[in-house]
Amino acid sequence: MTRRRVLSLLALLGPGLIAANAGNDAGGIATYSSVGARYGYDLLWMMVVITVSLIVVQEMAARMGIVTGKGLADLIRENYGVRWSLFATASVLVANLGICISEFVGIAAALGLAHVPVYVSVPVAAVAIWLLLVRGTYKIAERIFVGMTIPFFAYPVAAILAHPDWGAVAKATVAPHIQTSPAYVLLFVATAGTTITPFMQLYLQSAVVERGLGADDLNRERVEVVSGSIFANVVASFIIIATGATLFVHHRAVDTASQAAQALAPFAGRFAEALFAVGLLGASLLAAAVLPVTGAYVISETFGFEKGISRSPREAPVFVTVVTALVVVGAAVALIPHVPVFRLLVGVQVVNGALLPITLFFVWRLSRSREVMGRYRNGRIFDVVAALTVAATSALSLVLLVVTVRG
Amino acid sequence: MLHLSLVLGGDLVGRAGGRLGRVDDLVVRLDEPYPPLTGVLARVAGRDVFLDADAVAEIAHDRITLATDRIDLRPFERRAQEVLLRKDVLDHQLIDVDGARLRRANDIGLARVDGWWRVVGVDVGARGIVRRVVPRRYADRVAAGSLLDWAEVEPFTGHVPTVRLRTPHPRLARLHPAELADLVEAAGRAEAAEILSAVHGDPELEADLFEELETAHRREFVDEWSDGEIASVLSRMETDDAVDLLLDLGEDRRRDVLELLPETQRRRSEALLGYGAATAGGLMSPDFVCVYAQATVSEALARVRRSHAPAETLEMIFVMNTHRRVQGGIALADLVRADPQDVLADVAPIPRTVPLDAELDDIARVMTDYDLTIVGVVDDEQRLQGVVTVDDVLELLLRQ
Repeated sequence: MTRRRVLSLLALLGPGLIAANAGNDAGGIATYSSVGARYGYDLLWMMVVITVSLIVVQEMAARMGIVTGKGLADLIRENYGVRWSLFATASVLVANLGICISEFVGIAAALGLAHVPVYVSVPVAAVAIWLLLVRGTYKIAERIFVGMTIPFFAYPVAAILAHPDWGAVAKATVAPHIQTSPAYVLLFVATAGTTITPFMQLYLQSAVVERGLGADDLNRERVEVVSGSIFANVVASFIIIATGATLFVHHRAVDTASQAAQALAPFAGRFAEALFAVGLLGASLLAAAVLPVTGAYVISETFGFEKGISRSPREAPVFVTVVTALVVVGAAVALIPHVPVFRLLVGVQVVNGALLPITLFFVWRLSRSREVMGRYRNGRIFDVVAALTVAATSALSLVLLVVTVRG
Repeated sequence: MLHLSLVLGGDLVGRAGGRLGRVDDLVVRLDEPYPPLTGVLARVAGRDVFLDADAVAEIAHDRITLATDRIDLRPFERRAQEVLLRKDVLDHQLIDVDGARLRRANDIGLARVDGWWRVVGVDVGARGIVRRVVPRRYADRVAAGSLLDWAEVEPFTGHVPTVRLRTPHPRLARLHPAELADLVEAAGRAEAAEILSAVHGDPELEADLFEELETAHRREFVDEWSDGEIASVLSRMETDDAVDLLLDLGEDRRRDVLELLPETQRRRSEALLGYGAATAGGLMSPDFVCVYAQATVSEALARVRRSHAPAETLEMIFVMNTHRRVQGGIALADLVRADPQDVLADVAPIPRTVPLDAELDDIARVMTDYDLTIVGVVDDEQRLQGVVTVDDVLELLLRQ
């Protein structure tokens, strides 16, 4: 394929793909790795269920952006008042800052495997991300985001190098394997929680608006949401397969993504380790770039400021301030020696767990409202599926919240 | 001045001072510069009731006092031009006409003007939000923030059934078409449609606004219009902009709309449509002034005066020989400064031109190298077919 062809193909891809893949961030990869290391392929069937839920939720957000031309925070404010939108904004900001820190930790860990010192990797990544968000145009930023999903292809290759038993993989994917042990349930919930996070819906809807998509684009955007979600979860499944084929078989437990990469080397070779690290770097960079944008979108919408990465900084000072603050603080905290990253991630998980039911409830209520959506509101069957998805995801999220808080 | 946020949620009090219920919303009528209060929505004994403004004696923070102790328990029905301040205006977007930008109503200011309570302003600052979030007993210590005079504001009312299409948004006419286009692009879908339908009554403004809109937004609205409506807007646009819009329509629809255009514009548009869009032939405007080399300066100026071509296409006056081949071009300013008796052949130097199939980059390079704001487009015989102006080139370059 010529360069032009590739670029025009990338131009078709956008918010749907980015939002879904930003969910496969450093925390996500750590979760999938420990799922594979602890339970092998047993939880693979769950990825199918999670994919469907993700598609349902993301489709509602994309459709709302296209039909109303407004972001989720805009709609929450107009329909439920300033207190709810402030609540959503505050929790998204706290959660985003926390996740942002973890992404920079992920960047440091991935490049650490190549012996790049933290004091080089983190500042360089922070400056690059800042320049892209504040100085780059929306089109360039979006294309680079899409490009950042390419390192995810490292995981399928790493999985193949790990020589899994493909028959067992296929069987585990279609045949649900349910255990009732608390650890199993907790990992199940954590996987769902890291795959469907509030910032993804907020980002998707605002980015669709910023892209100026109209009703004509609805079906194309739906295709993108579906394929983006499937791609993201297939990648996640390959992470589970890669770790399941090696670490599980040899009874090696892991807690972080970089541990997983290192642990992979003795069984699947240095090349697999390197691929795992490349995937982790791409994932962390993508999420570290998308998260500040989401924070800025939400703040601008709630307070009614001008927004957008397609405007110059002078036109959108608030946008620049928020992006700068999130990138700087995220990178700075990641640089502090002995920062309690694990405790921080737990705290973030609590905030996200508490926020997800609220965000999803608003997404569902707004997208079924005749007043807001007119003839594009949820169809009857879709609405039932959506309600069940929202209820189930919220219940899981609350379980996680309770378990995390009680330790 | 009162803040709506502090009036809402307050007590509804009878004349004798007994608490009857809770204030939920205020109704105002939009047909005056400062909309007067026409009613109160309240929750009384577990029911939503509507009270006509005639029953209201006094309004204060936390309390609305009635002139009577008896309330008529009737449900609210909107009358013409009425909006609910909390449901329809608060937290919604509105247009700050002076600043030509969209703002969100964080709070609403009420005051007694001309003998009755009216909406006088919109709080768009951070204080409006703070006031609504802090506990109520601290809320009235939050002073008024940046308050926009209601006379400088246009609310969006398209979602309110009784107001729809009846308010002409007279203040919008004060905005420049480019500012209106920016608002359409920044606003939500419904709000954007409302701005466009508000300018629908002013065909000239509507056409100007359309010329300024980005392609994606044009297409979105054009899809909902009838062919006749599109043709009427197109017929008021300059040909090259009109062709841009025609190119956005589907092939079938384009033909139908072309049929409805006035004869001359249809022919011009078809000529332009025949060429590729990003070449000189596609970009050029067929409006220009070209005179014979034998003409005098004063004759040429007379031609300019008679011409209806847009000003930017007249920045250069072209000169041709008797075979209609271009041999000269003179800037309008130079023409005005020249001796009226001079013959054009002597004062107009050989101009830079581009061929019909010149691409955007080539045109831009010629314009940059020779400091031109306009360049002539010629066919193989060196005959002038049209002119490309710098605004059209810049628009395309910016989009890239």
